Amino acid sequence: MSDTTQQTGVRRREFLKILGVTSAGAATVGCGPSEAGRLIPYLVSPDQTVPGVSTYFATTCRECAAGCGVIAETRDGRAIKLEGNPEHPINRGAICARGQAALQGLYNPDRFTGPRVKRNGQWADITWAEAVQLFRQRLDEARSGGRAGDVVFLNRHETGSFPFFLDQWLSQMGLPPHLAVDPILDHAVIAANREAYGVAWPSLSFADARLIVSFDADFLDSWGATVAHQLDFADARAKLRDAPRFVYIGARRSLTGLNADEWIPVRSGSELAVANALLAAVRGAGRADVAAAAQAADVPAETLQRLGAELASARPSLVLSGVTTVQARDVARVVNAINQAAGNVGRTIRPAEPLSSFEGAESMAELGSAVERMRDGRVPLLMVRGVNPVFTMPKSAQVAEALGRVPFKVAFTSYPDETAELCDLVLPDHHPLESWGDAQVLPNVVSLQQPAMDPVFRTRATADVLLEVAMAGTPPAPGRPVDYRSWLIGRFPGGAAAFATALATGLTSGTTPRVTPRAPRPEAAPTPAPVEGEGDFAFIVYPSPVLGADGANKPWLQELPDPVSKICWQSWVEIHPESAARMDIQPGDVVEVQGPGGTVRAPAYLYPGLQRETVAMAFGRGHTAYGRFAKDVGANPLDALSPGFDRAGMAAWSGSRVRVRKAGDYVQLVTTEGSARQHGRGIGRALAVNELGRGGASGEEHAGGHVIPGDASHEPLPGLRAPIAADAEGDLRDPKKNEVGMYDPAHPTGMAKRRWAMTIDLARCTGCSACVTACYAENNIPTVGAAYQSGHTQGLPKTAGANILRSREMAWIRLERYWEGDEASPDFETRFVPMLCQHCGNAPCEPVCPVFATYHSPDGLNVQVYNRCVGTRYCSNNCPYKVRYFNWFGYGETDRPQYAWPEPLNWQLNPDVTVRGKGVMEKCTFCVQRIREAENRARAEGRELVPDEFTVACAQACPSRAIVFGDAADEQWTVARQVRDERAYHVFEELNTFTAVVYLKKVTYPAPAAAAPAAAGGE
Amino acid sequence: MATVARPAEEMPRPNIPSANIQLPAVRSYQQVNDEIIATLTPTGAWFIGLGIAITCLLIGIGTWIYQIYMGLGVAGYNPPVMWGVYIITFVFWIGIGHAGTLISAILYLFRAGFRTTIYRCAEAMTVFAVMTAGLFPILHLGRPWKFFWLIPYPHWRFIWPNFKSPLVWDVFAILTYLTVSTTFLFVGLVPDIAALRDRETNPVRKRIYSILSLGWRNSDREWRHFTRAYLFLAAFSTPLVLSVHSVVSFDFAMALVPGWHATIFPPYFVAGAIFSGLGMVFTIIIPLRRWFGLRHYVTINHLDAAAKLCLFTSLVVGLAYMTEFWVAWFSGNKVEQEYFLNRVFGQWWWAAWIMLTCNMILPLTLFSQRLRRNTTWLFILSLFINLGMWFERFVIVVPSLSHEYEPWQWTTYAPTWVDWSILLGSFGWFSMWFLLFIKQFPVIAIAEVKEIIPPRLRTHTATTDIDAAGQHVDYSPETPGEHD
Amino acid sequence: MTTRKKWAVYPGLVALAAAAVLLSAVSGGSTPQGRAPQQPIIFPHNPHVVGLQMNCLYCHSSANKSPDPGLPAMSTCMGCHTVIGPRRPDGTARPEVAKLQQFAAKNQPIPWIRIHKVPDYVQFPHMRHVNAGVTCQQCHGPVQDMLPVYQQQNLNMGWCISCHIQQQVRYDCSVCHY
Repeated sequence: MSDTTQQTGVRRREFLKILGVTSAGAATVGCGPSEAGRLIPYLVSPDQTVPGVSTYFATTCRECAAGCGVIAETRDGRAIKLEGNPEHPINRGAICARGQAALQGLYNPDRFTGPRVKRNGQWADITWAEAVQLFRQRLDEARSGGRAGDVVFLNRHETGSFPFFLDQWLSQMGLPPHLAVDPILDHAVIAANREAYGVAWPSLSFADARLIVSFDADFLDSWGATVAHQLDFADARAKLRDAPRFVYIGARRSLTGLNADEWIPVRSGSELAVANALLAAVRGAGRADVAAAAQAADVPAETLQRLGAELASARPSLVLSGVTTVQARDVARVVNAINQAAGNVGRTIRPAEPLSSFEGAESMAELGSAVERMRDGRVPLLMVRGVNPVFTMPKSAQVAEALGRVPFKVAFTSYPDETAELCDLVLPDHHPLESWGDAQVLPNVVSLQQPAMDPVFRTRATADVLLEVAMAGTPPAPGRPVDYRSWLIGRFPGGAAAFATALATGLTSGTTPRVTPRAPRPEAAPTPAPVEGEGDFAFIVYPSPVLGADGANKPWLQELPDPVSKICWQSWVEIHPESAARMDIQPGDVVEVQGPGGTVRAPAYLYPGLQRETVAMAFGRGHTAYGRFAKDVGANPLDALSPGFDRAGMAAWSGSRVRVRKAGDYVQLVTTEGSARQHGRGIGRALAVNELGRGGASGEEHAGGHVIPGDASHEPLPGLRAPIAADAEGDLRDPKKNEVGMYDPAHPTGMAKRRWAMTIDLARCTGCSACVTACYAENNIPTVGAAYQSGHTQGLPKTAGANILRSREMAWIRLERYWEGDEASPDFETRFVPMLCQHCGNAPCEPVCPVFATYHSPDGLNVQVYNRCVGTRYCSNNCPYKVRYFNWFGYGETDRPQYAWPEPLNWQLNPDVTVRGKGVMEKCTFCVQRIREAENRARAEGRELVPDEFTVACAQACPSRAIVFGDAADEQWTVARQVRDERAYHVFEELNTFTAVVYLKKVTYPAPAAAAPAAAGGE
Repeated sequence: MATVARPAEEMPRPNIPSANIQLPAVRSYQQVNDEIIATLTPTGAWFIGLGIAITCLLIGIGTWIYQIYMGLGVAGYNPPVMWGVYIITFVFWIGIGHAGTLISAILYLFRAGFRTTIYRCAEAMTVFAVMTAGLFPILHLGRPWKFFWLIPYPHWRFIWPNFKSPLVWDVFAILTYLTVSTTFLFVGLVPDIAALRDRETNPVRKRIYSILSLGWRNSDREWRHFTRAYLFLAAFSTPLVLSVHSVVSFDFAMALVPGWHATIFPPYFVAGAIFSGLGMVFTIIIPLRRWFGLRHYVTINHLDAAAKLCLFTSLVVGLAYMTEFWVAWFSGNKVEQEYFLNRVFGQWWWAAWIMLTCNMILPLTLFSQRLRRNTTWLFILSLFINLGMWFERFVIVVPSLSHEYEPWQWTTYAPTWVDWSILLGSFGWFSMWFLLFIKQFPVIAIAEVKEIIPPRLRTHTATTDIDAAGQHVDYSPETPGEHD
Repeated sequence: MTTRKKWAVYPGLVALAAAAVLLSAVSGGSTPQGRAPQQPIIFPHNPHVVGLQMNCLYCHSSANKSPDPGLPAMSTCMGCHTVIGPRRPDGTARPEVAKLQQFAAKNQPIPWIRIHKVPDYVQFPHMRHVNAGVTCQQCHGPVQDMLPVYQQQNLNMGWCISCHIQQQVRYDCSVCHY
C-alpha cells in the first residue's frame, strides 16, 4: 500500500521527493487530474528495499544515558517504529516510553529546519555555508582573544567515540575539554561507587537478592538504566516463591516505591540516620542508633529493628541509594558500606561487570561553576549541544542572565529550547536516528548508531560541522576523514567491512576511546551549598518517569499519564491528604510552594504515598519555549529551589524546606483516573505468597462476602474457546449447506482453528506504561491533549488537556492504578492493571452494533471496522471494560484544528493501520496488522505460523515482559501454557464475556513479622 | 326552568362518567362549523409564535451544521457517557408521541367520550412529536451522512443491518409509528377537510382542500366506509402504542449496563410515555381552548377525565421507579446496588429528585377534584411533568453510563451550549409544525363534535353557555311542532 | 377523478426514484470504473508484454513479495531505453521514448497518474493474490492490450467478496479492513 495517500493526506511520495528526486522541478505530488493522486516512482530504487515492506536498522537509543539498542523499522525510507534490539545486552529487546517517543523527537514539527542566526534580536535563516563561516569566524576570534581557555562546550552526556572526538577537536582548537552534562544522573551514587568499587555503575542483580532495600532509588522511574533494571526486577519478581521482598525507604513513594512490598515513610533528610542504623544492625551492633534514627525519621523503632534484623539475616540482599538531598553522597557511601557488610558485593552488586553508560558524566557542580564563569563575563564563546541549562538549573541560578554575559553563543541543538532561544547561532544537529555514532554500554560492548533515514530537515551532524571547521582551508589529504562516519570507520577495528557487518546487529565488542579523565576534584563541598530555606514542609523534586529531562515536546509523553498520579499535560503538587485537610486544600486547588529560590504554583494532587511533612513535584514540565507541545504547559519545580549541590556535586533537588499555601484559584486536574478504588470488583487481584500453590483456591472476597467467579481454576478457560464458532452454527448456518462459513473449523481457511489471546502477569507488571506509548506508535493513535486541539471543546478552558478533562484520551491500552487497603496508613497497596480490549469470545459490543461495524472474526478477534462504523457508540455503552474510544473530532484529518500529527509528525504514521476519521469508534485490534503480516509472510514462505513467531506492540515493548500474546488454541504457543497458571483469572467473568485477555494475579510479600495472609486483593 | 349559573361551591361535585360527556353550550351544527372554522384565521399572535418557533429551529439547524463539520466533540459527551442529551430528547419526544394515539385510538375503542374534543389536537401533537424524535437518532450519529446504513436495502456490498441490534428495531418502530399515526390523523381529518373545502373561497386553498378531502361528499355510503376505516385504523394503531415504546426501551434493557438491564423497562417506558404525552396534551390544550375561545367544547369535565388518566399513569410510573430500587436491592448484584445508591444519593441526586418530585409526587395532587378542575394548576403541573419526564430519561441514560462496572472509568457529564441549542431547535421544529397545523386544519374534530351535541337541536334559553364549574345548564322544555 | 389520481401518484413515484438514486449514489455504487486518464507518457504495455514477452514482474517487481506491486524506477526504464532511443531503425520516431529520455535527462521521475486505487481503509496484499495464482488480468483487465490503461473492474467490495467466497478464502471484514 506504500503508494496510497493516507486518509490524513500524508503524501508518502513527498518524502521520496526528498529521498530520490533531487531536481527542484520535481513533479507536484497529490491530487492531479484524477482524485486518485499521482504515483511518483524512484529514480533509482534503493538496494534491498521492497516498496511496502519494512526495512530494519539496528541503532542506539540516545534518549537517556543507558544507551539501549533499538531497531528502527523504516517503510519507504521513513522510520515508523522503534523496537528494542533483542541482541542488546542492556535492554534485551525491551524499550521504554521515552525510547519509543524518540520518533516524535525526530519528526517534531518544532525542530529547527536549518541553521539560524540572531540578527539584532530576530532569528534569520541562513545557509549552512554562511553559518559555518560565521561559526569559524567567531571561533577564531575567541581563540585569538587570548581567552581560549575559557571557552565552554556543553555536551549532552553520552558514551562512545563522540566525547573523545569532541575533546580531540577542542584540543586541536586549543580549547579546554567539553563538559558532559546530564541533569538527572545520580552523581552522588556514581561518586560513591567510584570510591567503593572504582566503577560508576556496577550491574545490579535483583534476581539473586533475597531482600531489596531502596533508599529513594527509583530504578523503575529514572534511576540508572531503568529498562535493564526493570527487566531484572521483573524476572526476580517472577520467581514468585523465591522472589525477593522489596522494602522502599523514602519520604515519597515513587513508582518504584509503589512496587515495593513495604514502604517506610521516613522524614526527608533522615535517610542518613536510617542508613547508619541499618548499617549498625547489619554489623550486629547499635540498638541506640535505631531508636535515634526512628526518632529522626518519625517511624516506629520496631519497624527499623525488624528491617535491620531482616537485612542481617536475608543474604544476599541488595541495598540501593537514590537520595537527592544534600546528604546524597553520604547516604550512598553508607549504603555501599551496608552492601559490603552484608556481603552483597560480587553477588547482587557486581562491580566486575559495570554498566559503562554512566562513565564520564560531569557533575552538575561543574556546570554550575561554568555558569559562574559566564556570569563573571569570562567566557568568550559558549557552545551547547543537547543541553538546556536554562531549564534544568534552578531559576535562582540565573543561567539566562549568565548567558547574557557571553558575547557569542552557538547551539548545536535540534529544538528551540530555552537555551537555544538565547543563543546567537543555531547549527541544528541531526537527530540520533539520522546520524552515525556509537555508545559504550558495557566495558567490552559497543552499541553502534546508524541513520535509519535521510535527514528530515536541513540539519547537519555536529561532528561533520566540527570536521569541516577543522579542515577549513587545508587541502583534503588522503586518509583524512571527510566526515564523522569515515572517521568512525577509520578507527573501527577491521575497517569498513567489519563495520558494515557489525551494523547488522548494531553491536560489536571492543571499547571506544575514553575521554581523558579530569583531575580528581578536591573533597571540599562544591559551592554553593544549598540554602536550607524555611517552612514546615520538605520539598521533593523528582524527575518525571515519563518525561525525563527533555520529553516535554513529545505529545506521546505529554499525554502518557504519570504512572503514580495519572495526571498528564499538567504539573501538580503532591501533598498528603491529611496535610491537605489541615490546610483545607481540595484536589485541584492551586497551591503556592515557596522555597529558598522562589515560588512555584500548581494544582494540588492529594497523594497518600507521601511522608506527612512533605510536598513533591515532578521535574519535566514548565517550559517557556521548546515548541508547541511543551511551551507554557505545567510549572518547573526548580523555580522554588536554590542552586545547591551535595558533596559529590549533584544538584540537591530534595530536602529544602518550603512554605505551602493555598493560592486561591482552582484548576481541574487533567487526570485519567475515575475512581482510585476497585470497590471489590476484582479487576486487579493479588494473593499473598503463602497462598501460592493452593490451586487458585484463593478466591477473592467481595465486600459483599461472596466469591467472584473468575479464578481460572476450572478447565479449560471458557474465554479461550471461540464460542463464536458455536454461535455461528446457530446463526450463520445455512440449512441447505453443511458448512458454516469461515466459522467452521473445517473451512478451507482454517481460521476458526486459531484463538488469539493474551496473558498479563500482574506479578511482573510495574505500571511503567511503556506499553501505552508502544500502542500509540504502532496504531496511529492520536494525542488529543495539546492546547491547539482544545479550541472547540466547549465549556472548558482552551488549555492543554481540555479534551482529557472530558475523558477523551484515545489510549487503546491504559494502565489503571488502584489503591488497596488503608490509604491513611503507609501500608496501602497498589494494583497496576493494563486494561485493553479483552476480545471477548462473547462480546457485549457485537450484537448491539446496528451495522456490523464490530463483529467476531473466526480467529477470535473482536474486530472494529472503521469504514463501516456510523458512530452510534452503542458498543461502547455496552462494553463493561470501557475500552472503546470514539473520534470526537477529526484528529486524523489534516484540515481540522484538532489534527494530531502536524507535519512532519504524520511521517511516523504506520501505513499498515488506517488513520481513523472523525465520528467512528476505535479500539485495540490485537495488532491485527501484525497478525496478517505474519500470516502473509508464512504463506509466502509456504509454511504455517511458528509458535511465538511474532507478538503485539505492547508485549514487544514491555520492559517487564508481563504481556504474552499468541494463539491459545495451539499448545505450542507460550500463551496457551500461561493461561493454565494457577494465578490466572478473567476480569468480570461473571458477565460471561469469555475474555481472551487473561490476567495472572499479583503476588504480595508480607513482612516476615506479619506473615498472615495479607492483602488478598479486591478490597 | 332556566337558571343562570350557580356559584361553584354550592353545587354537588359531579363525577360524570366519561362516556356521556355532552356539550350543552353547543347548539347547532352551524355553530360548530362557525366557531371552529373561525379559529383558522391567522392572528398576529400566531405569526409571532411561528416566528419564534422558526428562529429556534434555525438556531438548532445552524448548531447541527457546526457539529457535523467539527465533530460530535463539540457536544458535552464525556466518555464513557457516550449518549447524552440527544438520546434523552429522542426518548422524550417519542414518549410525547404516545398520548395522541392512546387518546384517539384506544379511548375511541373504549368509547371514552371525553376524547372527542381533544383527540385531534393530541393526534397532531403525536405526529409532530414523532417527526421530531425521528431526527435525534440521526443527529447523535458520529457520521450522520451514513444513517441509511441502518435501513435494510439491497446493495453491492452484500451487507445487511444487524437485526440483532435494538437500534435497527428502532428504525422500524419509529417509521411504522409515524406512518400509521399520520394516516390515522389524516383519515380522521377527511370529513372536516370537506367542510373546510365547502366554505373555502380562495381557489388555491379550495383546490388543495378538495384534493385532501378525497372528494368527500358526506354521503351515507362514505360515512359507513369512513367509520369502518376509522375503527380499523384505531384497532390497528392500538398495539403500536404499546410496541413502539417497548422497542425504544429495548435500546436500554438489552444492554448489560447497570440501571438499564431490567425486565420492567417495556411497561415502565410505555406508562411513562403515555404519562408524558398527557402532560404535553395539557400544556397544549389548556392555552389553546382559551385563545381559541373553545372552552365550551373542551370543557372542564373533559380535562377532569384526562387528568384522572394522567394520575393513573403517574401512579404506574411511580410504581416502576420503586420497583427498580427493589429489584436492585433484591438482586444482590453489588454493581447494580452501588449504581442505584449513586443515582439517588450520590453524584446525580439532584436529577433523580427532580424526576421523582415531578413525576411521582406532584401528580398526586390530582386526587383532589378541585385541583383536577383547576385549569391553571393543570397547566403548571403539566409543565412540571414535561420537565420531570425529560429528567427521567436523563436519569436513565447518564448516571448509568457514568457509573458502570469499571471504577477507573467512572466520570461525570455536562452538556454544552451545542446540546442545549439543538434541544431548543427540536422544540422549534415541533412548534413550527404544530402552529402551522392549527391554522390549516381544525384542532377540534368538527364531525365528531357534531355527533355528541344534543340529539335534537333544541334552543337554549340561558345566555351563558356553561358555568364556571363546567356545569351543564338545563335545557328548556320541548317546544311543540319541533319535529314537524 | 383522473387529475386527482395524477396528483396522488406522481409525487410518490418521483420520491421513490429520488430515494433510489440517492442511496445507490451515496452508498458507493458508483465507482471510477473505466477511468482512463491522460498519462504524462503514453506507455504502451503491448510491445513490452506481448512483443518482448516481458514478465509483469520485470517492472512491477514487488508484486509477488509485497503488498505494493511497485513501479519501475527510472533506472529500470533507462536500462533499455538508453539503447532503444527515440528513433526506430527505419527512422520513424518514438515520441514517447523521447519524452522518457527528457525526464531522465532532467533527472526527474515520471509523475504517473494513478488509475487503480482502493480506499485507504482497505489493505490489499498483492503478493497473496499473485502467489495464489490470480493473474494480473483478473483484476486489472487485459493491460497488455490497453492503450491507454484504464480501470476495467469496478473494484467494489462486492466484487472482491464474490471472488473470495467463490474461491473459498477468507472474506470476513478484518481480512482487508484494519
